[in-house]
Amino acid sequence: MILDQLRLVSRQVNVQLRMRTFNWYTVALFFLQPAVFSAVGMILSRAAGNQAPDLVYTVIGGGIMGMWSGLVFSSTYDIRSDRREGTLELIVGSPTSLRKVEAIRTFSNVMAGLVSLLAAFLAAVFIFKYPLQQVNVPGVLISLILLLFGLWSLGVFLANFLVWSRLSGSLVDFLELPVAVLCGFMYPIQILPNWMQGISAIFPIRWALQAMQASLQGSEINGIIWQKWGLALAISLVFWSISLWLDRKVHNMIRLTGELSSI
Amino acid sequence: MGSFAIETRSLSKTFVTKRGFWRRKTKSTLAVEDISFNVNQGELFGILGPNGAGKTTTVKMLSTLLLPTSGSISILGLDILKNTLEIRKRIGFTFGGARGLYGRLSARDNLRYFAELYGLAPEITRKRIVELLEMVGLTGREEDRVETFSSGMQQRLHLARALLHNPELIFLDEPTVGIDPVGARELRAAIKTLIARGKTILLTTHYMAEAEELCDRIAIVNKGNIVAMDTPSSLKVRIGRETVIEVDVDQQNLESLKIQLVKLDHLSKVEYSAEKLINRISIHTSEPENILRLLGPFLQAKSIQGLEVRNQTMEDVYVAIIQGEKK
Repeated sequence: MILDQLRLVSRQVNVQLRMRTFNWYTVALFFLQPAVFSAVGMILSRAAGNQAPDLVYTVIGGGIMGMWSGLVFSSTYDIRSDRREGTLELIVGSPTSLRKVEAIRTFSNVMAGLVSLLAAFLAAVFIFKYPLQQVNVPGVLISLILLLFGLWSLGVFLANFLVWSRLSGSLVDFLELPVAVLCGFMYPIQILPNWMQGISAIFPIRWALQAMQASLQGSEINGIIWQKWGLALAISLVFWSISLWLDRKVHNMIRLTGELSSI
Repeated sequence: MGSFAIETRSLSKTFVTKRGFWRRKTKSTLAVEDISFNVNQGELFGILGPNGAGKTTTVKMLSTLLLPTSGSISILGLDILKNTLEIRKRIGFTFGGARGLYGRLSARDNLRYFAELYGLAPEITRKRIVELLEMVGLTGREEDRVETFSSGMQQRLHLARALLHNPELIFLDEPTVGIDPVGARELRAAIKTLIARGKTILLTTHYMAEAEELCDRIAIVNKGNIVAMDTPSSLKVRIGRETVIEVDVDQQNLESLKIQLVKLDHLSKVEYSAEKLINRISIHTSEPENILRLLGPFLQAKSIQGLEVRNQTMEDVYVAIIQGEKK
């Protein structure tokens, strides 16, 4: 049983990777776009009078941006492409639930986004000489896992809307920058007005990211970090629960509206 | 519901679309209206109809992809609303055209992916892929990217995909659309093989000869309704056992032939059409010998360029029924 599921995961990931081979859009999405964000971050930081830009918010922040954009655009691209190619109907008409297929795809997109973060981290260390000795490695790793889990839960949540209506793809695209701005990918979230911080509290990635930024800057694993991890995990689980609840509704809705094959 | 492979009762489907941002307007489109039919186990049942008649909507409802607005469907004895998952394991379906495959993947990778969605074990998948590619004539092309395939090859791969999990009931929605005559013939041969193996097939098509050649029974649909349903031979009887005589004649002799034809009162229908310099007269009659006698002098005078005497085809039946509906 578990082997069957693992085989499905491996086949799904394999299909996605091979569909993207030599796809310059994906290369630009995961490498070029984060590099542009990082460069802009550094320019703005210098313009603000900082002699040494904070690499956590500029270079590594650009990598996080790449992960998020990669997730949003890849997920939208996958479903649009399946709808256009007529394969979405075939997936829905198979005994494997669309929820499972979307969960695997989103997971694969989140993991693919890691290359963005890794490239940004390596650039920070080797090009900009980020001091590795100050990094709280366990803190970073746990935060990273929660960040990935949070991204995954958000991706699965958004996938419901992408399947439900072809128009919601545009709405999901529109979410890319607002979520990045609200969650403080490239600056400390404390600089935002309170009401904006209030909105960003509903995103699990905000909490995981804050814990990761603190750990990258050498913070010990203390009560505040634990609190952020707890919030990241709890909110991610809430998103998962809503997604599971939405799944059946979306499945019935698309069978009513015929949106599956609409282009 | 009984032991039919497909059983539908009063099936209807209305699509509701909303337009506009502030003042939302709702538009309802009735795609299928109150249709009922049964398909026996092992039968090849055809649905014929013009574009927009509701053929594909019907197939999508039967294959669990669309929910009916009203009515009931039983597939292999299972209610479609309560047993969706079980039904999906036991049916296969293809939709016409090039869509429905991953073009960047090879034929084998496409099949492996869909086999995974149907939960096939790797050893069964390997065996089935070899068998099916052989059956649809794609052996040797399994490692080629699907985007390099012709329409006919893609259609045959669609069929192989639909058969991966060895379904009992197969829905083929316009499987030969856009395929050249040789490809269409190969696909029809594959469909015959499936029937010989005891599969039940529901086929929709635009091609009358295809329906006549393959189907045990045919339902003709128009504007969402079934307007006729029977075996091909019974449908032909329904519009009368007539013979069709087609005469090609030049302009010079057309008028004199017309004058002769209007004198006859046992003709059910005479149609005139013109292409380039040749005029074609299609005469539907129950007394072909009288017509041939009338044409005799024209033939002797070599005034007739072409003559064909044939029985009515499904196309004649289809045109008569659909035109009857229009009237």
